[in-house]
Amino acid sequence: MTQTRSPAGIDLPHRARSPQRRVVGRLLRNPPALIGLGVVAAMILCAIFAPQLAPYAYDAQDLSIARQAPSPAHWFGTDDLGRDMLSRIIWGARSAVFVIVMVMIVNLGLGVPLGAAAGYFGGWVETVVMRAADILFAFPGLLFVFFIAATIKPAILTWAREAGWRDLANSGYLDYAVVIIALGVIGWAGLARMVRAQVLAVKEREYVIGAQAIGVPTWKIIARHILPNALAPVIVALSMGLGDIALSEGYLSFLGIGLQPPAPSWGNILSDNAGRYWRMFPQMIWMVWIPGLILAAVVFAFNFLGDGLNEALNPELVD
Amino acid sequence: MANPQDTALIEVRGLKKYFPITQGIIFQRKVADVKAVDGLNFAIKKGETLGLVGESGCGKSTTGRAILQLYRPTAGEVIFQGKDLVKLQGEELRKMRRNMQMIFQDPYASLNPRMTVGDIIGEPLEVHNIAKGKEKKERVQELLKIVGLNPYFVNRYPHEFSGGQRQRIGVARALAVQPDFIVCDEPISALDVSIQAQIINLLEELQTKFNLTYLFIAHDLSVVRHISDRIAVMYLGKIVELTDRNALYNNPLHPYTKALLSAVPIPDPVVEEKRERIILVGDVPSPVRPPSGCHFHTRCPLVMDKCKKDDPEFRNAGAEHWVACHAV
Repeated sequence: MTQTRSPAGIDLPHRARSPQRRVVGRLLRNPPALIGLGVVAAMILCAIFAPQLAPYAYDAQDLSIARQAPSPAHWFGTDDLGRDMLSRIIWGARSAVFVIVMVMIVNLGLGVPLGAAAGYFGGWVETVVMRAADILFAFPGLLFVFFIAATIKPAILTWAREAGWRDLANSGYLDYAVVIIALGVIGWAGLARMVRAQVLAVKEREYVIGAQAIGVPTWKIIARHILPNALAPVIVALSMGLGDIALSEGYLSFLGIGLQPPAPSWGNILSDNAGRYWRMFPQMIWMVWIPGLILAAVVFAFNFLGDGLNEALNPELVD
Repeated sequence: MANPQDTALIEVRGLKKYFPITQGIIFQRKVADVKAVDGLNFAIKKGETLGLVGESGCGKSTTGRAILQLYRPTAGEVIFQGKDLVKLQGEELRKMRRNMQMIFQDPYASLNPRMTVGDIIGEPLEVHNIAKGKEKKERVQELLKIVGLNPYFVNRYPHEFSGGQRQRIGVARALAVQPDFIVCDEPISALDVSIQAQIINLLEELQTKFNLTYLFIAHDLSVVRHISDRIAVMYLGKIVELTDRNALYNNPLHPYTKALLSAVPIPDPVVEEKRERIILVGDVPSPVRPPSGCHFHTRCPLVMDKCKKDDPEFRNAGAEHWVACHAV
C-alpha cells in the first residue's frame, strides 16, 4: 500500500481494495468455508509431503502384524497384509490430489474455451459444442468410464506391451491416464454449459459493447472483459465438483477399474479391506470406517468451500 | 449554408438494421424480423451535434450502434472519412474505431467492475498502440484532469464512484483515442438532474476544445434542444423530421413532432395554462409488423387514405427542413 500526496496535501491510499481481495476477505470470515479450506489444505500438504509424513512405506508388508487395531505404532491399524493404514491413506491423498488436479485441468481446458466460444460466437460453433455436451449428458457418466476402462484401456495395454514398452504398461501410469481422461472427458460438458450461459449474459453488458466500440481485439474482450466477470459460478461449481472427482476416483478404484493395487488410493484401500475380510471380521470397523470417513470428509470439505465461495463471490453482497 | 456533402463528417444512406426472430434449435429458421431501424438517410457535419429523439423502442440506440458497426447493419452505407464502414471487416474496422467512439447510457453498466480506472481509460491507448508504460499512465492522469476528476483516482475501482463520476470516466475513455466522432447514447438519462447539467456542460466544453462531432441520442427534448445544432425525430425505425433545432421547436411540420413537443411542459405558468396537448391515441405498433404506408398512420390525427398505402418520401420542405409526411 503506497501513499500518495494529493494536491490538497491529504494522504490518499493509492490502491483500493480490489474485488478479488474482498472475496478472499469474505471467504475467511465464513466458518464452514474455513473448515473446508483447512481440510483441503491438509490433504494437499499430505499429498506434497507424503514421503516425509508417512511413517512407513505404503507397500511395506509385514504379515506378522496383519489386521492390527489402531495403536501408537500404527495409528490407523494395519491391513491384512500388515501394511500401515496411516501411511497408505497419506499416500492415497497424493493419488487423490493428483487425479483431482489433472481432471480439473482437463475439465477447465476443454470446458472454459469451448463454452466461451459457444457463448460468444454462437452459430455453428455453439451448435456443435452444445450438442456434443448434450450427448455426454445423455450418456450415463459411470457407464462411459466403464466403457473406456473395459475397452480402450486393455487395447492400449496390449499395444504398449507389443510395442516393447513393457515397463510403461506395468507401471500404473496408464491407470492414472485412463482415470484422468475418462473423468476429464465427461466432466467438461457441465462446465461448458455453465460458461456458455454466463458468457451469453455477460456479453450483452454495456462494458463489453464498450470494449468493442473502443476496438479491443476479440480475444482480449473474451479474456479480459467477459471471462473474469463470468467465472464466479464456474469457480463455485468447480470447487463442488472437485469433491465429486475425488469420489469418482474412489469408486472407480473400489470397483477395480481405476488405479490398480498396490497403488495407494482411498478407493483401493476400501475395496481391499471391505472385499477381502471385513465380512469375516465385522468387529474391525476401523478398516473401512477410517478411509471411508476421510473420503467423505474431503467431499464435504469441497462442498463447504464451494458454498463459501458462492457467498463470497456474490456481487450483491457488500461488506 | 454550404452544401452538406462538402462538410459532412459522416453520411448515412439507407441504413437498416433488422434483428431476426428465429425458431428451432438445430435447424434455425427465420420467422420474422424486428425492424429496429428501417431505412435512414442523414449526414452529420463536422463539428456539429445532431440530436436524435424519439420514444423508447423507436430505434435510436440501435441507430447509434449500427453506425459504429457494433450491430452490423442489414443494409445501407455509413460513409465516414471516405470509407464505407459497413463494408469494413476485422482489423480494418478495428483500426477505424480510433476515430469514432461511444459514451453509454448506464454509467454503472458501462465500466468493467474488475478493472481499475487507470486500466479502463488506458485500454484504448494500449489496443491502438498509442501509449505504453509511463507515457500511458501520464496520459490517463491527464485525461482524468480533462474530465474534471482527480488524477489520483487511477488505482480505484468503478464501484468507488458516484454515477456522475463514472460517467466522466466513460467520457475520458471515449476521449483517450482523440476521436473525431462520438455517439452519445443517452449519456445523461441515468443521472440525477443536478448531475445532468454538469455532464452536458462537460460534453459541450470538450466539443469546443477538441472539435468533436456528436450524435446525441436522448428522449429528453429540452436537453436535446440545448445541446444540438440539428435534431432528427425518429418514430418506429424511421426519421420523420430533421432540421435545425430552432426550426424544429418553433415550426414543427410532422404531426408526430407536434405531438411530442406539445408534451413538454413550459416553465411559465401563464403560457403553460394555454399549452395545448396533442394526445396520441393507441400504442406504438410492433416493429415486427410495422403498419403499411406511413408507420405513423395508425396514430396520426391527420391520417388520409394515401397514408395507409404509400410510404411518404423523406423530402426537403425548404431551408433544409426535411420531413416525411403526405400532409405537409
